[in-house]
Amino acid sequence: MFHAKRLVLAHFWVAFIAFFAAILLGEWQMFMRSPLHAWINNPEHYYRSVTAHGTVMAYVLPTLVAMGFGYAITELTLKRPLIGLRWAWAGFWLVIAGTLMASVTMGVGKASVLYTFYPPMLASAFYYVGIVLVVVGSWIWVALMSINLHRWRRDNRGATVPLAMYGNLAGAYLWAWTSVGAAVEILVLILPASLGLTDTINAGLARVLFSWTLHAIVYFWLMPAYIVFYTMFPAAIGSRLYSDTMGRVAFALFLVFSMPIGIHHLFADPQVGAGFKFMHAAMTAMVSIPTLLTVFTIVASAEIVGRLRGGTGLFGWVRALPWGNPMMLAVTFAFIMLGFGGAGGLINMSYQLNESIHNTQWVTGHFHLIFGGAIVIMYFMAAYELWPNLRNCLPLSPALIKTQLSLWFGGMLILTMPWHLVGLLGAPRRMAYYDYTHPALQSQAITVTISTVGGLILVVAAALFLYILASARRTPAPVPPYAFSRAAHPHARTPAVLNEFRLWIAMMIALTVVNYGYPIYQLAMTPQAYVPVVPIGAR
Amino acid sequence: MNTPAESGASGRLARLCILALIVVTVLSAMAGFLWLPSVQADFAARGLWDSICRAAGVSRDWGSAGGASQAPAVATNVILLPAMVRPAASDVVGRGATLALNCSMCHGAQGMSRSDAPNLAGQYPEVIAKQLNDYKTGKRSNAIMGALAHGLSERQIAELSAYYAALPKARTAPTSYDEALPALVRVGDPMRNIAPCIACHGGVDQKLGAPWLEGMPRHYLSEQLNNFKSGARHNDGEQQMRNMARSMTATEIDQVAVFYSRKSGASPD
Repeated sequence: MFHAKRLVLAHFWVAFIAFFAAILLGEWQMFMRSPLHAWINNPEHYYRSVTAHGTVMAYVLPTLVAMGFGYAITELTLKRPLIGLRWAWAGFWLVIAGTLMASVTMGVGKASVLYTFYPPMLASAFYYVGIVLVVVGSWIWVALMSINLHRWRRDNRGATVPLAMYGNLAGAYLWAWTSVGAAVEILVLILPASLGLTDTINAGLARVLFSWTLHAIVYFWLMPAYIVFYTMFPAAIGSRLYSDTMGRVAFALFLVFSMPIGIHHLFADPQVGAGFKFMHAAMTAMVSIPTLLTVFTIVASAEIVGRLRGGTGLFGWVRALPWGNPMMLAVTFAFIMLGFGGAGGLINMSYQLNESIHNTQWVTGHFHLIFGGAIVIMYFMAAYELWPNLRNCLPLSPALIKTQLSLWFGGMLILTMPWHLVGLLGAPRRMAYYDYTHPALQSQAITVTISTVGGLILVVAAALFLYILASARRTPAPVPPYAFSRAAHPHARTPAVLNEFRLWIAMMIALTVVNYGYPIYQLAMTPQAYVPVVPIGAR
Repeated sequence: MNTPAESGASGRLARLCILALIVVTVLSAMAGFLWLPSVQADFAARGLWDSICRAAGVSRDWGSAGGASQAPAVATNVILLPAMVRPAASDVVGRGATLALNCSMCHGAQGMSRSDAPNLAGQYPEVIAKQLNDYKTGKRSNAIMGALAHGLSERQIAELSAYYAALPKARTAPTSYDEALPALVRVGDPMRNIAPCIACHGGVDQKLGAPWLEGMPRHYLSEQLNNFKSGARHNDGEQQMRNMARSMTATEIDQVAVFYSRKSGASPD
């Protein structure tokens, strides 16, 4: 790498320290509402903690990881210094300023609105301004990624964009477009109300605009994980990527289909028509295609090395895989969690099945399994893989890494499986306490205790993660630049449409207009949709 | 650089992708707006165009679907807005003080009642305004208050609210977190859907339109809770108090009333 090392390190350190603080809050919440502790005396403290945990995990951690990882990919794959280093630092400090502003507001109890901040609940304006700063900081990153790629293309006419950079840009463009929904919601609807300029708010429209961001943000979180799957995993296990083109197809499909599907979060909302709910459900189903393509391609890439190592037969190559390799373990764990979480997700996105689990603990279980499990474990791997380059250190201890990954995997399953179960039994999410003495709930008490133990294991795993990174031993010898995976057929021609983004961005925007245009127009034109605001913690 | 043949292939691929997306979109739209509504009786009742409009969420005709249209029954005509809380000018408070001479017989000279009428000193302005409006429009009924509020103008109601809000609160110790608080006040009862009192009436949060209760006459509090429970009082806009009180037992109503009535300036305990 050239001169983005400190930049990347700053992003990663802040992201991971904030992550650790948020995980402590998460475990505290789990403990407080478990039968191991008496009912929390002040539920407001619980919701304050939920807001902070969600805000850090959903906005701060993934944004900083995607930004830092993106800067690293730019220098490593384009093999030239990052253009706009000062702007990148400005973006970083904006994210930091926004995080601090939102944190202080949450800390003093003026923003206990949960990280989804659904109106008509209203927090102090400082909370929303903090979120906006985080988003604006990330927009600088989007612009820099685009500029860097553009300049590189200009200097390398006709060359194929490296796959990691292609995925990186897909994530950046996806984020640029998906963050527009929440940005409009905050700037047009929430901030005027929060500043006291208006007394009513179009709650239905705000929810629809938030759903614009709410689901696609998940794929923005996911992109770095998929980049690791495609461009780090094959190299780490001594294999090659089975198909470079398939990776591009997956990234392009995510760009098109992850955006216009967010109304599946609003199945219980009366203000959205059933026809649009169905369309969003159908489009959500389309997102399983790039995921399944990815699983196929990555497993095929593993099969290459399994067979090279002497594995034969239908499944013999599985045994021959390099199971001692941390990356092998991490991707296996990620796929298992992605499998369970994805199966649960199919239930969430089905209009009718959703009825039985809507707003229950099941949903919390689902997104912890997918994001906290499958995605974050890949964030760990991205950091582990890049660390020798970033810190000029010796390779990190595989034994420690494997312990850490196993703890994370085990802890996440122990945390989320009971959540799925009690969700099916009807346990609502976002409750500060449950009456476990009630006969109807008594049998569920043990599952909450099990989840608390799972959470504790996750705390240990997160601490171990920080320890592994912090204890890396620096070496005076230069560390060669990180090399991303090569394709099995490196000289295959990449179709032009899969080497650029114009078509996919046009499709993304067109589909958004079709799927969101009328619901937004209709709600904006409905005066009865305005309801009085409910300020939280104002008195 | 791509050869012309490759460019042509790439162009064909792009066109294929666009076509596929259009087909997927049109098919899912047809399923969502035509096919699925057609098998739902209430969607399909009034023809194809109407069922498409309903599936799209057009709201205009939904109210009259059930037959004769009638105004929905609302609990109160008052919409609580943060603007109602803004501090009033001193002349407004002064005019309110003059008007309040009519109220002192029951509510006390300084808004501190010696009878079982509620204390008004320091009450939140939107609370007074809402209750007076509800008495005026008959949404809350009381023989004396209905007659008195009947003649009040919007402006006079605002002046009275500003006056009482400006008086010092009767309570010396606002309710705050304490293990010793009665369970219903502190944590409610989740399995009966009873929210804690302090979630709205001060302690955790003080919601717009929720009065402060400390030091209110015990009889007044238990009477109001019983009226909410029976539905005799029904001017809570979202039915929030009727829903809370409905599953409270007589003993619990008494406990809560005793708790809040004792937290007065006169007997702080």
